[in-house]
Amino acid sequence: MTSTRQGGQSLHLRGLTWHPHTRREPTIAGLDLDIAPGQRVLLTGASGSGKSTVLRALAGLLDEESGTAQGLPMPPRRPGERGLLLQNPAHALVAATLARDAAFGPENAALPREQIHDRAESALQEAGIDLDRSRAPLAVSGGQQQRIALAGSLALGPDLLLLDEPTSMLDADTAEQVRTAILAAAEGRTLVIAEHRIEPWLPHLDRLVVLGPQARILADGDPAEVLREHPDLLVGAGVLAETDATLRTERPPGPVIASLHGVTVPERGIRRPLDLEVRAGQLTVLTGPSGAGKTTALRTLLGPRRRLRGTVRRPARERIATVPQNPEHSFLARTVREELLASAWADDEALADELLERAGLADLARAHPYRLSGGEQRRVAIAAALAQGPDLLVLDEPTVGLDAGRRRAVLDLLREAAGKGCAVLVASHDPELIAAAENRLELPVPERTEEPLPHRRRIPADALNPLTLCLIGILAAIGSFAVHTWQGGLLAALPIALLGPLAVRSLRGGALRLTPILLSAAGLAWTTALLGEAPALSGPAWLLGLKEAARITVFVAPGVLALGSVDATSLGDALGGRLRLPARPVAASVVALVRVAHLGRQWEIITRTRIQRGLGSPASPKLLAGATLALLVDTLRGAEQQALAMDARGFATATTRTWAEPSRFGRADVLGALLGVGLLVWPAVAELLMR
Amino acid sequence: MTRFRTIDLLVTVLIGAAFGVAFLGYGQLYTLIGPLTAAFKPAEGLLAGIWFLPAVLAALIVRKPGAALLAEMIAATLEMLLGGQWGWGTAVSGVLQGGGVELAFLLTRYRRFTLPVAVLGGVLSAALEWVWERFAYYPEMSWPFAIAMLGCFVVSGAFLCGVLGWAAARSLVATGAVDSLAAGRDQVRTAEA
Repeated sequence: MTSTRQGGQSLHLRGLTWHPHTRREPTIAGLDLDIAPGQRVLLTGASGSGKSTVLRALAGLLDEESGTAQGLPMPPRRPGERGLLLQNPAHALVAATLARDAAFGPENAALPREQIHDRAESALQEAGIDLDRSRAPLAVSGGQQQRIALAGSLALGPDLLLLDEPTSMLDADTAEQVRTAILAAAEGRTLVIAEHRIEPWLPHLDRLVVLGPQARILADGDPAEVLREHPDLLVGAGVLAETDATLRTERPPGPVIASLHGVTVPERGIRRPLDLEVRAGQLTVLTGPSGAGKTTALRTLLGPRRRLRGTVRRPARERIATVPQNPEHSFLARTVREELLASAWADDEALADELLERAGLADLARAHPYRLSGGEQRRVAIAAALAQGPDLLVLDEPTVGLDAGRRRAVLDLLREAAGKGCAVLVASHDPELIAAAENRLELPVPERTEEPLPHRRRIPADALNPLTLCLIGILAAIGSFAVHTWQGGLLAALPIALLGPLAVRSLRGGALRLTPILLSAAGLAWTTALLGEAPALSGPAWLLGLKEAARITVFVAPGVLALGSVDATSLGDALGGRLRLPARPVAASVVALVRVAHLGRQWEIITRTRIQRGLGSPASPKLLAGATLALLVDTLRGAEQQALAMDARGFATATTRTWAEPSRFGRADVLGALLGVGLLVWPAVAELLMR
Repeated sequence: MTRFRTIDLLVTVLIGAAFGVAFLGYGQLYTLIGPLTAAFKPAEGLLAGIWFLPAVLAALIVRKPGAALLAEMIAATLEMLLGGQWGWGTAVSGVLQGGGVELAFLLTRYRRFTLPVAVLGGVLSAALEWVWERFAYYPEMSWPFAIAMLGCFVVSGAFLCGVLGWAAARSLVATGAVDSLAAGRDQVRTAEA
């Protein structure tokens, strides 16, 4: 194997076979592939042909614990030698800020701190990112996320870039920007792309490889030649769409089922009044670039929203059926047929069976919905929505990530539903779907308004190392056990009231942290007065309750207030960089903790989708159980992708890694530690004073 | 095999984080039994087992030493960072709840991942958590009530953590989301046998 700086890296696969333990058949059966240094290769083929698995093999990331392999290429000789970009960029993002995200690879490679910062910054620049480096990667747009993921790879100076459908979740304009960034970065490197939308890449390629089942090579050569000689192959693989002139069937418009009139939602960026009429028997498409407010418009149409201007008309709740972008977010049942009948508003078994037939799912009626392919899952979700017999069917990006054949199957289902008199409303940037719609509303390009960075007022607690803040809370909690009288307890609580403001950023934030403490202290007082040794609710029982309330406040309040200025990243720097706890578990924990806001958004989508489907109220144990399972499935599937992305950035071998930011101890920390000791002994002193 | 691959580590910590998020939504469950717990606080122990779920799920799915403890610690850390009202008490609870489940699987030397072991884990966690709460939160509670609370804890640990956690792990295996983890591979072996 040879590698040159200018030309990138060459790769050779000889008889590559991959048999996952969970499959009956190998997914790759004897693949030979030679890629020359600097070559730009596109792998294409129908969904399930094994493109993604071939990329993983090339990256050296097939995990031999989960399958049997033969003919694997040599593993990378250094962390990040082969960069890998995935379909959903959110899976590649690991840190709380852009700067730290780009630094993740160099940290894993255990580079010295100055080099980490240089590498991260130049990678961000190379990927063309002009956002503030302190922004949260998971909170920016999909196109920006994919470029941040690209920067994450570039920070390790890869010789080879491997891309798995890097633009399939993006609208056309954004996809073009990301493609430009990728092609610029690929200069002087070997480039391998797995993709089923090939047209936009064609002018930039040296070579096109068409894969069939089990990654068998069906065609391989100059892109123009392959296209000329094997058009049938590409249509059959679902790579090129069949040409079909009669895509749209004009139907007389039916009555208006739902509408928006002069609607603005300024807080969500819809500032110009929006007018939309959704008619029975028609396919209506809501389109526009990312960030134009498609999802907001849909949600406004679907349910009540505060601070709304204009008028919204919609059918009764049970007459609306919705299909989320990720079908798994709404799944509940263990078989496809049960899934169709899961909603309280879907009780017509004959209709369900007819829909299974129409959606081509009859053979899968007893299959587990979560085990189906992406295209099948979309059809199940649509059939389940139609099983409600709705007047209005609303779908969010129902064709995203599907190949041409599967997109077509979804489109056929939607047109049939419209043909039967349903009003179908779709938010989409899929050109085919837009062309097939009778009625279109294009949302304008949003004015580029970057949300201002949240302002954090500096407080004295910020001067302390997170470990010192932890120590203060722990020492104070231990000290609280000295409280034995209500008088001593109240005196012991005094320094907390005096010092608390040093750790509180705003009045509201302080109240948010203190209210639960005071509520549980009150609850404890009540419980003690009721269930203590003294006669229930007598005078002495209440005094005992007051003592307990004071003691628990002294126990928890310092910790809760001090933790207010600790964030996951700085805590990780302290535990990993300062205390030298095992690097991989600490770094993985930080990755999980910075995803909490993202997980919260998923939880919100999942529960909302289920309530819209008529599966229960927010407090019903059944809905919560189903939503928890859906969140876990979503999270664990994501974990598999995240693990790949992280290992491609050198995490697998990062048992000794460096940390981009120092975790400093200063003079303030000496003061902080003294304060902690003070809080440790003060309750005992207070008891003596009150004796 | 005790080495944590990246996916094992991530699944463990993400189970902790996902439950940390779901727990915020579970607060509504307490309103369901609100009237009962106002009159008789120990009844709140009936829901205690839910909080040990991250530990038992991580143990059943990842099947490596330390997974239960780590998942529960992440859920606890998350609760503390978000401002949960029990402050550093949460960290102690996290260690004891994760540790109880961990202990049950340790007793089988990480060879058995069955319903009885999961139930034992839930019961051990409940017992340890009760000792801590008795000591730190309810030292003044009279013994009869404290024993009643222990009963609620243990029942809840057995059912809501043990049985429910085991059922949830099975449901997860059925979805195919854990195919590349120990639990998923085990399911394939049983299906083929």
